[in-house]
Amino acid sequence: MLPKLYVNGWSCLVGDCSAENFASFMDVRKLRRAETVSKNVLLCAFRALEQAGEKRQEKSGWGISLAMGAGALGSTLKFMDSIIEDGDELSSPTAFASSVHNSTALLLSLFLHIHGPCVVTGQLDSSFAGALLTAQQFLAKDMCRQVLVAITEDVNPLLMEQVQRDPHVFDPFMYQPSCPPQRVAGVFAVSAVPTEATRFVLDDFQLSATADVASCTEPQVSVCSCAHTVLALKQQLETQAPFVFHEQFAGSVFDCKGEPYVRP
Amino acid sequence: MTSSQKVSVAGMGCICACGHTPESAFEGALRGEAYFAFPVNRVESTYTSKFPVFMVPPDICAAKPADMTFSQFFFIEAAKQAFEQAGISPRQLSSKRVGVVVGSSVHPSFHCFEIYKRWKHHTLTAQDVTGLKNYLATPLAPWVSRFFGFKGPVQTVVTACASGTDAIGMAKNWIETGLCDAVLCGGTDEISESPYDGFIRLLVSTPQKCRPFSKDRTGINIGEGAAALLLVNADTAREFHLPCHGYVLGYGNACDGFHPTAPDPQGTGLQQALTFALRDANVQPQDLAFVNAHGTASQANDSAEAVAFRAVIPDVAVWGSKGVTGHTLGAAGAVEAVLSLQALNKCILPATVGFTMADEKLGLTPTMQTVPIAKRVAVSDSLAFGGCNAAIVLEACDAA
Repeated sequence: MLPKLYVNGWSCLVGDCSAENFASFMDVRKLRRAETVSKNVLLCAFRALEQAGEKRQEKSGWGISLAMGAGALGSTLKFMDSIIEDGDELSSPTAFASSVHNSTALLLSLFLHIHGPCVVTGQLDSSFAGALLTAQQFLAKDMCRQVLVAITEDVNPLLMEQVQRDPHVFDPFMYQPSCPPQRVAGVFAVSAVPTEATRFVLDDFQLSATADVASCTEPQVSVCSCAHTVLALKQQLETQAPFVFHEQFAGSVFDCKGEPYVRP
Repeated sequence: MTSSQKVSVAGMGCICACGHTPESAFEGALRGEAYFAFPVNRVESTYTSKFPVFMVPPDICAAKPADMTFSQFFFIEAAKQAFEQAGISPRQLSSKRVGVVVGSSVHPSFHCFEIYKRWKHHTLTAQDVTGLKNYLATPLAPWVSRFFGFKGPVQTVVTACASGTDAIGMAKNWIETGLCDAVLCGGTDEISESPYDGFIRLLVSTPQKCRPFSKDRTGINIGEGAAALLLVNADTAREFHLPCHGYVLGYGNACDGFHPTAPDPQGTGLQQALTFALRDANVQPQDLAFVNAHGTASQANDSAEAVAFRAVIPDVAVWGSKGVTGHTLGAAGAVEAVLSLQALNKCILPATVGFTMADEKLGLTPTMQTVPIAKRVAVSDSLAFGGCNAAIVLEACDAA
């Protein structure tokens, strides 16, 4: 029997964090080498943990399930830039190390003092749905008691240019002409049993390959960013009303139900 | 756990530098033979005649369809082998909840190097735009699921070099928690510019053949390939009369929270992952025939692993297989799981190819020759950048 997910805190960020945002959480100088996408999600994690009532320094019993649609894109591009501009013999090892998906997960585990299970999901638009599924599995198998389900997304300048040329094909969300492209991050603190901070319950997860296989013979590109899911889910939670959530991705669909938690 | 509850391996497939099937890869591991590319011919880099890699042989690669990446091609071929070994077609499983979990590092990243280069130089072509659309339409696990016509859950795991082990562990959990009846899982990765240059620039790669756990080890050789396992629950195995090639008994995962590219020297996260995997499997260290180590032959990795092994699974035989596969990154854990199951089922443990002399600082000596094994259970572990550690516990098939 798969557990429901009790949502005990959440925080989302559209745009970038500033150094001042970290003042009450940590010495911001320790983040001077961190990538912006990683700092954005770290800030959300601090805020979500605060909302969840987690005040311990060493957060035993916590796990991390991180979603990154296209990985640490900024660093990936920086590394490719350094090869193209400086030649591979002078390419940046720091950019390469930061381009690995786990570099963002490291920042969370290092500064939040989480040493439990940690898995990163990277399948473009359906990444966040995958991360929720992983969190549910962590809890079902008692790998930890609470999970930070996190997402952080960068802006891809190459895709952005293509979207402006061909908006019907590429991401209609992050790169809409009316909506300036911005980084998006979000964190949900969830558990398998309610805590004093529980505010919402998510249930009936389904992340499935698209049912109608025949319809997928042509590539379907609806959205290219998993940021869309996290912001849509946040919007639903903020309505404080029950909801049924459905999203269609490139090759998969995600469904879940949610309702405000009523304390017995 | 009784065999009626265990998650069994109905079929497996493998393509890597030491073989293009599970059987031939294990034979390659026993003989110490593999396709060691020097110079490297598939990447553009000034290092290609300095830093060799383990590659899938060109005659296998020649069959790659133009519309697939090497990562996709390797995994599909490995998956087809898995179905063939299981004696079942994907279509026959259409009434079942079949999930797909694939670990990888290159395909899920935006490593469209040539397209990106042309965009930077304002020479993007119409074909490049099509390439971008294809990239967006083919997130790995959903694409694999669609390829075989499955409708179950899909997950692409990108915990770098631990991805393959994580994918198999997560697939086992999906079945145990009732999410799926069967899961096609594994890992895949290909040689490409970013990891090739990146590991060299991090001073982790070696211009020589890697020497896992040796005193004179000088670094890693990256590799490529894929392995796929078809895991099933007992009801599905019975219903379709599926063969059993082993079991996945346990899975553990824990992070170090220590350093971007180096493991915790105390192997703290790995110790925790191993401990959890053994507990999940209800297996004691003394039950283990061997551990298939991550054994990249980097100073830091082998040292951290040795500390963790001494603490959690002391006196267990250590086998490193990257001397014949190279470090296949996101595929490594899956390739090593297949090789480990072969070893368990054949009751022989190969030598650690590349090992030269014991490093007294490690306090362990890996296998130096092929030896018979009597125990039925083994553990395979993976470490990754960012301090992510994963371990799975495997058991031989019942007939072994």
